[in-house]
Amino acid sequence: MDLQNLNPSSLKSRFTARFLRALTEINAPKTISSSSPREIFQRYRRIKVAADKSMAYSVRSRRIWSRATLWRLRTRSRSRRLVSFGRRASVKTRTTASHGKENKEHHGAVLGVQAEELRELVPGGEAMDLCNLLDETAHYIKCLTTQVQVMRTIANLYSIE
Amino acid sequence: MNRALPEILQCSDMTVLERQRARLKWQQEQFQQHQQESYFSELSGVFSSQTGHVQGFRQGDLMSCGGAAGGGDSVLSDVVMTRQLKPDPGLETAWPELGKVDMGAMGFGPCGYGNGQSFDMNQAISRTSSCPPAVAAAEVKGNLEKMGLAVERDSLKKRKVEKLQNSKVVAEDDSKRIKASEEEESKITGPNTRKSSNNKKETYGDTSKENSKVSDVQKPDYIHVRARRGQATDSHSLAERVRREKISERMKYLQDLVPGCNKITGKAGMLDEIINYVQSLQRQVEFLSMKLATVNPRLNFDIDNLYAKDVFPYCTTNFPTVGNMAQELANHPPYVQFNPFQQVVSGCGVEMGINSTEMALQRTISAPVSIPDTSFLNTSCFTGMQQIQPSAAWDAELQNLYNVAFTGSIEGSDLKMEM
Repeated sequence: MDLQNLNPSSLKSRFTARFLRALTEINAPKTISSSSPREIFQRYRRIKVAADKSMAYSVRSRRIWSRATLWRLRTRSRSRRLVSFGRRASVKTRTTASHGKENKEHHGAVLGVQAEELRELVPGGEAMDLCNLLDETAHYIKCLTTQVQVMRTIANLYSIE
Repeated sequence: MNRALPEILQCSDMTVLERQRARLKWQQEQFQQHQQESYFSELSGVFSSQTGHVQGFRQGDLMSCGGAAGGGDSVLSDVVMTRQLKPDPGLETAWPELGKVDMGAMGFGPCGYGNGQSFDMNQAISRTSSCPPAVAAAEVKGNLEKMGLAVERDSLKKRKVEKLQNSKVVAEDDSKRIKASEEEESKITGPNTRKSSNNKKETYGDTSKENSKVSDVQKPDYIHVRARRGQATDSHSLAERVRREKISERMKYLQDLVPGCNKITGKAGMLDEIINYVQSLQRQVEFLSMKLATVNPRLNFDIDNLYAKDVFPYCTTNFPTVGNMAQELANHPPYVQFNPFQQVVSGCGVEMGINSTEMALQRTISAPVSIPDTSFLNTSCFTGMQQIQPSAAWDAELQNLYNVAFTGSIEGSDLKMEM
């Protein structure tokens, strides 16, 4: 695994590079004293967003789920900044959900319940038929495992006691 | 032989078996020519335009379809799912273009496949083509091509424009037939080919009619499937069958991905497992990000470190010696001598500096950059390290930390020199 990381074009190395850069930015301005739970929670959220974002960027929007993730992150950040226009974000999510439901009925899958759950899990899965959904799920699982591996390695590196 | 085949096929007095054998031979030849081109997925069916022109296809795609051994469906050719359908001006001119032109996307509606998609489909291909896949596929493909062309010619000559019910349905039909024939082909040999040929006869008229219509150019390409023996040849059921087979193939692939799914059969259980696995992975990501937020608030997450981790295996051998040097190191700021790595090292050390410098040193030692050999580290660094520069704020912070942890033992000048 270590040596594979040296391949500059693999998904893992791309994700690692981006994620480490993001972590550096997140941790740079902090000082020793700031370790209150609130700050830790904020940092946790930022790290989580950075992880998802860097993974989505590493996939380079070749996949529906990565595009959906990036879009979701962008709209969320926008909605946070423009509180008054927060309605727009919620309306958007509502429309996608309704659209997804229509699709679900169309495809009338035998496995409607589980397919629905899977759609909720996989970003951007609301508007996909079961066939593509399974495809996206496979790639999503692969990327998630990479993400978990890298993050675990980083966490272990810096938490050795 | 190549050019003779269509003529031979058109002879009605030739038996079906002979035709198939001829096709197989032709396919084999063709396949050997285009052996490298396999790319896509299960149901690549290729088809030609409404007027029955053969658009061309990719050999490798047929591999996954397997192919109608008995094939000769008029519409049988492979389709690359995401390529565009291009009409050929004429059937005769299309002949030489076999295997060169790419086909359009599948007629199943928007597939999520981009051109970059490869890994899962390749695996899918390897899974769908079971038996001597290359040969069989090649044979099938050749048969399909030949028959398709022959039939198209026939249809052109014999039939006028009739309405296709649905170009999509045609594609689905064809793809189902291909799928069906593929499955039959996987068992191979005579009886199966006879069966498929029977099926082909049943659906021949149907497909040729539909094929002659074919689609307008804008529609995605078609996948031609042959109905299996004893199964309904209704276009809707064929489409359903194709869809179901696609889904089951994806489920098989997911089964490999998700650990512990081998014992579970049935789509519902599998889906439950998949959902659980995705949920657990997402929770793991959240947990790890929380861990990263709490455990290492002040470490410099340089790319260096990760690459240094590659170095780590080399470091481990030196661990005892470095440990012995711990006492020595405690007396000076040894890691100060290191280049940018030192920042991480010092960061680690400083964080624990409150407890004990020795502990900090051990921590730094266990961290990727512990060997007091700058040359070694330099050689093992990767080039990207240079672009990671500590921020000014971080420098100031580091200096403060040093002052806190090593009051009096640190010489500011040394620190500045090294940094």
